[in-house]
Amino acid sequence: METVDIGLPAMVVLYGVTLLPALLLRAIGLKIARDLAWAIARMTAQLAILGLYLEYLFALNHPWLNAAWIALMLIAADLTILARAGLRWRLFFASTLAAVSLGVLFSSGYLLGLVIRPQPLYDARYLIPLIGMILGNCLQSNVIGLERFYTALRKHQTEYVTYLLLGASRTEAVRPYFRQAMLASVNPAIASMATMGLVWLPGMMTGQILGGSDPWVAVKYQIAIMLSILVSMTLTNSLGLWLSLRIAFDRNDVLRPEIFKPQAVEAR
Amino acid sequence: MDPLIRFDRVAVSLSGRTILNHLSFELHQGEKAVIRGPSGAGKSTVLKTLLGLYPLASGSILFEGRRLGPETLQDIRRRTAYIGQEPVLGADRVREALLLPFTFKANRALRPTEDDVENALAHVGLPLSLLLQDCATVSGGEKQRLAIARATLLQKRLYLLDEVTSNLDPVSKLAVLGFFADPSFTVLSVAHDPDWIAWCGTVFDLNHGTLTRIA
Repeated sequence: METVDIGLPAMVVLYGVTLLPALLLRAIGLKIARDLAWAIARMTAQLAILGLYLEYLFALNHPWLNAAWIALMLIAADLTILARAGLRWRLFFASTLAAVSLGVLFSSGYLLGLVIRPQPLYDARYLIPLIGMILGNCLQSNVIGLERFYTALRKHQTEYVTYLLLGASRTEAVRPYFRQAMLASVNPAIASMATMGLVWLPGMMTGQILGGSDPWVAVKYQIAIMLSILVSMTLTNSLGLWLSLRIAFDRNDVLRPEIFKPQAVEAR
Repeated sequence: MDPLIRFDRVAVSLSGRTILNHLSFELHQGEKAVIRGPSGAGKSTVLKTLLGLYPLASGSILFEGRRLGPETLQDIRRRTAYIGQEPVLGADRVREALLLPFTFKANRALRPTEDDVENALAHVGLPLSLLLQDCATVSGGEKQRLAIARATLLQKRLYLLDEVTSNLDPVSKLAVLGFFADPSFTVLSVAHDPDWIAWCGTVFDLNHGTLTRIA
């Protein structure tokens, strides 16, 4: 079954309809029309470039080219996580990249190598979208995890120091904040899995059905990707937080103020 | 006799501002000392520097003749109790708060019996009924005495006290003074309370980052 294409006039209509939320937001006093327009323009440009690039990537289907694209995605995700978590990238670049790469490559590795097993294994049509989905979800969850953890530590420094002075090691003293951060980072995935198919239809499954797939195949793919995302999220978050502990404290176990981006300090 | 603590020309700067300026003093086993001075003079910084919470710009600190550093810090922290104006209890219930340190690996061998817990409370003049109370409903003065009780359970001998009598009524203050009179306890404190200052055998004045021994 062929997917119904969206023609140029229909696309123009779609962009035109976005005037409605823009006007509504303006009517309630929110002057974010420029931000909205910029976001739509960026989305369009980024997806258009991606579309063109993927076309070539899929046609060439070269393992090294695919690997280079994945490396680029991992680095971009690493920098985005640190920027949004308010941490200095120079300090945490390597640790976050290691955590994200290990977690994402582990779960996508068994998803592709043991579960889906495309031929060839590095087939860009499977490799790039699946890793992209796993990475995108890990990105959001790592931002929440790192941001929550270091915000809580900074806010509760007296409490953290009290634990140290009561005999806790650094790992023991940060445990309450570690748990809270981990919970906050995996909670959205747990909530979305619990309501999936009941409250909302997942994007990947919808896309596959629109693309002509058998609904059962789409369901199985959706379950596979959700379970892989959950594994990857937990791995990247726990590993990322754990590796960051070696950087964020001085030799006396005191939180280093210079790990935070200056604007993040001022905002608080 | 070698001093328990020795500050030798210790300088501490925070955010580019000099807080302690080549500060030197000694404290011997069993001594009860107080540092007084205007607010913002850096009194609490002296206590926290001894616990390794602020880096030294210059100078050195010796604890039982050993230089303060990452290798010795764990031992110093293990043997020292720091009690501030509003101590963190770190648990929902008072009993859990008293037993919290024994969940840490370093203290597991010291886990107290029920009798030890009750004795520790009695030592600081607190009723046993407090054990079941929610920490959120405990007053500032009770928190300070609970922190002292917790320190006794941890068998601490060196007490760094930051305005420890600030929230206490006269009766509770007497109980606390009586507790710290134990000759095996060494006290380095920061206070504005005239009663506490008069009780301490050693008095230092801290002004503009410089320490002077008064008594």
